[in-house]
Amino acid sequence: MIRVFGYLAWRSAHNRIARQLRHLRSPRYVAALVFGLAYLWFTFVAQRSGTSQHEVADGRWVELVGSIALLGTVAWSWIFGVERRVLKFTPAEVTFLFAAPVSRRGLIQFKLLHSQLFILFNALLWTLILSRERFGLSPWLRVVSIWVLLTTLSFHRLGASFVRTSLADHGRLGVRHRVVSLIVLGAVLIAWTWSIAEALPQLAESSGDSPFAFLPALGEAAARPLPTALTYPFRLMVRPLIASDVTDWLRALGPALVLMLVHYVWVVRSDTAFEETAAAVSLQRAQARSEGRGQAKDARSTGRITPPLLRLAPKGWPAGAIFWKNLVAVARTRQLRKVALTLLLGGALMAALSFQLEGGSLASIAGWLAISWAAATTLIGPQWVRNDLRGDLLKLDLLRSYPLRGWSVVSAEVAASTLVLTIIQFSLLLLGYLAFLGDQLMEPDLRQRTLLLLAAVIFLPAVNLLGMLIQNGTALLYPAWVRLGSGGPGGVEALGQNVLMMVVYVALLSVLLLLPLAIGGGAFLLLRGAIHEWAAVPATVLILGTMAFEAALLVDWLGRIFERTDPATVGIG
Amino acid sequence: MIEVEGLHKLYGEFPAVQGLSFQVGPGEVLGLVGPNGAGKTTTIRSLAGIIIPSSGRIRVAGHDLALDPVAAKAQLAFIPDEPHLFDYLTVEEHLRFIGRLYGVPDVSARIPVLLEEMDLRDKRGALPGELSRGMKQKLAIACGLLHEPKVLLLDEPLTGLDPVGIRRMKATIIRRAAGGSAVILSSHLLHLVEEICTRLLVLQYGRVVAFGTMAEIIASRPGLRTRSLEDVFLALIGQDEAAGA
Repeated sequence: MIRVFGYLAWRSAHNRIARQLRHLRSPRYVAALVFGLAYLWFTFVAQRSGTSQHEVADGRWVELVGSIALLGTVAWSWIFGVERRVLKFTPAEVTFLFAAPVSRRGLIQFKLLHSQLFILFNALLWTLILSRERFGLSPWLRVVSIWVLLTTLSFHRLGASFVRTSLADHGRLGVRHRVVSLIVLGAVLIAWTWSIAEALPQLAESSGDSPFAFLPALGEAAARPLPTALTYPFRLMVRPLIASDVTDWLRALGPALVLMLVHYVWVVRSDTAFEETAAAVSLQRAQARSEGRGQAKDARSTGRITPPLLRLAPKGWPAGAIFWKNLVAVARTRQLRKVALTLLLGGALMAALSFQLEGGSLASIAGWLAISWAAATTLIGPQWVRNDLRGDLLKLDLLRSYPLRGWSVVSAEVAASTLVLTIIQFSLLLLGYLAFLGDQLMEPDLRQRTLLLLAAVIFLPAVNLLGMLIQNGTALLYPAWVRLGSGGPGGVEALGQNVLMMVVYVALLSVLLLLPLAIGGGAFLLLRGAIHEWAAVPATVLILGTMAFEAALLVDWLGRIFERTDPATVGIG
Repeated sequence: MIEVEGLHKLYGEFPAVQGLSFQVGPGEVLGLVGPNGAGKTTTIRSLAGIIIPSSGRIRVAGHDLALDPVAAKAQLAFIPDEPHLFDYLTVEEHLRFIGRLYGVPDVSARIPVLLEEMDLRDKRGALPGELSRGMKQKLAIACGLLHEPKVLLLDEPLTGLDPVGIRRMKATIIRRAAGGSAVILSSHLLHLVEEICTRLLVLQYGRVVAFGTMAEIIASRPGLRTRSLEDVFLALIGQDEAAGA
């Protein structure tokens, strides 16, 4: 049976790649490929000679940071994850495989096998991305190390989702079925909480000055016995990556492989009755998806449909309907009100704590976290928030039948995701601002922090708009090569692709920001002598004006592309 | 109401539609029939402005679809065989969404009437995920009818409907045509075509094989006079032996 599954997985992958390559008949795709290859060559190959002079990265730090990051990822999948991505069956798989004389365990093994192609591809990408970092061994050994790490992580997430769903679906019966997993989880949670409580005063003390002082304190905290035990499995996963020679690598790979196999056994030998349930749920989901109703599941599962925050006025800008629709979708999928309430309460709590001597340290940790997240969302946000053309392009037929010009559709679509991302960033920044509100000793002082917040409020929407135009433009120009749909950017296994996309995105955004910053900066320097700091006002106006001009040009161009895009030719709709 | 002149659509070297010309006036129901791959869906999607013809001209209610697409599209409705709905809009919100897009002035008054006509009154607050295949199709049809289009393009409109739904749908099409809309209907259901279409356009390999009323088509081929529509259709596409079998 494994040969049949192997044949299906291999032929599907082969044909999919062949189909993607057929798009190279279009000059647009050829240009993208040439640009991409040139970029990769320049970044990872041409500069390799220079990297030999880099100091070898300190393996201990890589191990520490890597293991803590993995611990966080795993914790996330236990606390928030409903991930069953690996077990999602396509309608064709449901039709042919579920009806075939194949055991449910066989089906699960098939999906695990199938996911390996994706993981291997991302392992290769990661190897390429990390090729300039000089820790570890040859690229080929690194591919194996990353593959083992990603596969273990993928199995773990799947196992976690089994336990979570078992508890949700079967209640007490689920607890009985999962008793070993739950005991292990309980012990880990207790150890985790204990470790954090023990390390918190030291971490909080170190975070007062700057976020960089936090790292050595983190290293000290992690060196204690309990955190060392807690992060031990994750260190095992990271160690093959930082081995200094082949012998060292082989020694590190053994435990990592054992860990991977233990996870495999955990997932595949899970309770058969539960696997039946999981497979049945996959079947329902696949059927639902084939009928185009899969994504409404989240909203349905809440049992009550969230009323839209804004009512759609019957009259007005016609494309405003698209803008409204995309905001409604976010409100119904991301549980916007709960998030808003949490941020509101969190903000109030942070502000109150910031005036307390004992709570101030805790507030400052939360503050730095919020600010770091806000900064990170400027880069990863446009990939993550997708309530725009990327979500709607699968319904291109429908969009094209509306009596709207292309620029109108593009601007409405992009405005929705820009607004959502901007609200997220503003909330995080406000949280950070409130967390340091009572801190009289902090540099920059309160006035400067207020000005920085104001600058963020002024510039972030424009930066986000350009960022969203880049992301939507990529989807519109290369619909066959870009993942369409409103779902998130994939799990940890897809991180390699996402990092690569982010690097390209940052490069394009930098190019777009160059002109506005040059004009605004030039104006500021020219006028500063005459009107002093007030020169910032015309400079700001010029920067925003240039960004608006660029955005208008992009919207117009993308609108024309939208009008020329033939759903049948590009393979969607 | 809708005029098509010399419509060609090429996919690379492959001609999906070749030199199609016809007109459909107010009150007419044109049945677009042909075997799989004949070019029916390509034709209907070209008329809806979804795909761009390689050459030819399409005018909808006097507006050239290529030169003034917004005005032309405002006068037509396209209802595909597979209903495309937005996962997170309820039934009523779909209609309000369409009302805003098409600038329907009295949308609040029209919604209850359409929901009643489509038997969706009890589902007005439901998301598409809570609807059956047939109900989704009805919602897609209701969205198409909301702005009272002058041209109605239907691609396999009865797919997924139950017998009651089929009867209602046929009545709806006839009522719209009687109200002055031009209807173009693509279907493999020959009895539906025979029942409600005033004229037929038979396509094969992207070319017109026959065009006219049933009487006109049969008159041009005297050998088909006593035969059923199915036999006529098979004979027109050169599958006489299948008709004999």
